[in-house]
Amino acid sequence: MHEFDWSSIPNSLPFLWDGMKISLEITLSAVVFGIVWGTLLALMRLSSITPLSWFAAGYVNLFRAIPLVMVLLWFFLIVPHLLESIFGFPRGSDMRLSSAIAGFALFEAAYYSEIIRAGIQSVPKGQMAAASALGMTYGQAMRLVVLPQAFRNMVPLLLTQGIILFQDTSLVYVSALADFFGAAYKVGDRDGRLVELLLFAGAVYFVICFTASRIVRHYQNKLKTA
Amino acid sequence: MISMNKVSKHYGAFQVLTDCTTQVHKGEVIVVCGPSGSGKSTLIKCVNGLEPFQSGEIIVNGVSVGDPKTNLSKLRSTVGMVFQNFELFPHMSIIDNLSIAQLKVLGRSEEQAREKGYKLLDRVGLRQQAEKYPGQLSGGQQQRVAIARALAMDPICMLFDEPTSALDPEMVNEVLDVMTELAQEGMTMMCVTHEMGFARRVASRVIFMDQGRIVEDDSKEAFFEHARSERAQQFLAKILHH
Amino acid sequence: MGYNWNWGIFLQPTATGDGTYLGWMFYGFKVTIALSLSAWLIALALGAVVGILRTVPNKWLSGFATAYVEVFRNIPLLVQLFLWYFVMPELLPEKLGNAFKQSNPIVQQFLSSMVCLALFTSARVAEQVRSGINSLPPGQKNAGLAMGFSLPQTYRYVLLPMAVRLIVPPLTSEFLNIFKNSAVCSTIGLLELAAQGRQLVDYTAQPYESFIAVTLAYLLINVVVMFGMRWVEGHVRVPGYIGGK
Repeated sequence: MHEFDWSSIPNSLPFLWDGMKISLEITLSAVVFGIVWGTLLALMRLSSITPLSWFAAGYVNLFRAIPLVMVLLWFFLIVPHLLESIFGFPRGSDMRLSSAIAGFALFEAAYYSEIIRAGIQSVPKGQMAAASALGMTYGQAMRLVVLPQAFRNMVPLLLTQGIILFQDTSLVYVSALADFFGAAYKVGDRDGRLVELLLFAGAVYFVICFTASRIVRHYQNKLKTA
Repeated sequence: MISMNKVSKHYGAFQVLTDCTTQVHKGEVIVVCGPSGSGKSTLIKCVNGLEPFQSGEIIVNGVSVGDPKTNLSKLRSTVGMVFQNFELFPHMSIIDNLSIAQLKVLGRSEEQAREKGYKLLDRVGLRQQAEKYPGQLSGGQQQRVAIARALAMDPICMLFDEPTSALDPEMVNEVLDVMTELAQEGMTMMCVTHEMGFARRVASRVIFMDQGRIVEDDSKEAFFEHARSERAQQFLAKILHH
Repeated sequence: MGYNWNWGIFLQPTATGDGTYLGWMFYGFKVTIALSLSAWLIALALGAVVGILRTVPNKWLSGFATAYVEVFRNIPLLVQLFLWYFVMPELLPEKLGNAFKQSNPIVQQFLSSMVCLALFTSARVAEQVRSGINSLPPGQKNAGLAMGFSLPQTYRYVLLPMAVRLIVPPLTSEFLNIFKNSAVCSTIGLLELAAQGRQLVDYTAQPYESFIAVTLAYLLINVVVMFGMRWVEGHVRVPGYIGGK
């Protein structure tokens, strides 16, 4: 049976915290960009302009069909080279963090757009008609009437997706970027205490995600009764 | 056949049933009525143990329902029940709906079960629909199937929980006709219903409930001619103007 | 942009001399399929049990099932994989742990991956099973009990057959997910499809061809699974029942 020794954790807390900051940075930026781009995709998908809706449908289906790990590998191994050769960035510049954020944002946008599309479609058609009857343009009606209602209903789902995204950020491990999980792994590997550090990382993720999903559920129930 | 003695039930602080006492004898047809929320559906579900109760006693055919040692499944297989929303099993054909419990609970053979099923479908006028699925039938037809399904178990008595209140008005009578016929054949029945015409035709007694209590328990003549409580009078007046 | 496309690379013999690069890819494809399918079968069985337990009227059983689901849902898949692969063998009784550590590395990787994916997915299947059962009208359970079925019989003949039909569409997406999630197992060295893609990049220096081919392979899996599940859906449809669509 394994003999536990947790002593390497207290000393490495600052390093682990730096990793957590990277995890959170990736999560937050990807959520924000993902929602913005996802909203645009949803609007394109619902638009009557065929090429736009085809593009959006193709984009969403493509990203939902391939593993996140593959997307990240594309962004770590291939996209930087592409950018180097197109924009003449200096070779070997460290674009891992921005690549990670871009990869997550573009990937998550596909999932966000499906949530947002369902949200928009859940707003009764009469709302759009009523807004048009008041003389609003399509853009105004969307922005002022439909989207605010849609988002109100979607907030719990968007937040839940954010929690999933936070968990998924651990996959930047494939690029050796030291996010929280990467940092924990490195410490464990260095001190020969992988068992303890992995258990610690699992516990930290559990506490954060469990608490966050409890809060979301609480909010969801409040929304229901309101 | 069924005897209830001081049955009480509460959800937390909310009292659903208070000291309900009554008897149902073999061959009697009891109509249970009362305003919504008066506890009548809960009362009837206590009879076959679908709703647990905290105090009092219910004896069905000599077996105590509330006794933890009682084999409830066995008891229920002898008591037929018909629900407000039919509750046919949507993934099975009509004939399978009638056979499944005969096979799995009573241990009858496939052949016996189907024969019995077809006979009962004949009786409720739905033999032609035997191979269809519940979703393909009208509400009235589904409820007749549900009655046949309960009868297939050869029950010693039948419980009806608002059997016509989920039906479109034009379908109510086809179901009531089946129930009337059943009553006239001498089936012991306990029916929660607002169909006062049915009560007048076949009821032996009428029980009126209000706020979880049995307020009136009398012969139908006495109930309709001179209901004693004010609540029952109000209730009857409202039903008439309905 | 000065890139030399060379699709012929797949037919060239590998640097290690064990067939062609296409052969490598095909090997990875087979590992992905075998891993995902075996994990899926376990996940379905476990998920069904846990999902049913979440709905039974017993505080202890449903509490256990809830805890199970929460644990597997709130820890990242990658962390779970590492826990199974690196930590579990250390926590096992010494004999068993050593036996595991001395077995063929491919077996170790495959077993850890399979258990990890199976349990992770089982928690999600359990959620679908639970919501399928809960979405049935409450009267169905009563109707089953009223006919004299015991509680297990009521589940077996009344609730589950309908719930299973209702959850085919959401299960389809979980089934797709397990193939996608299997790519995570490349991180412990299992040579499945994504890992082969990476290896191809290293050996051939033709990154675009390698990644495009692997991505297409995932798309292919996706399409096949979708058609398969649509077929299943058509076959379990209940006549006249709109919700069973």
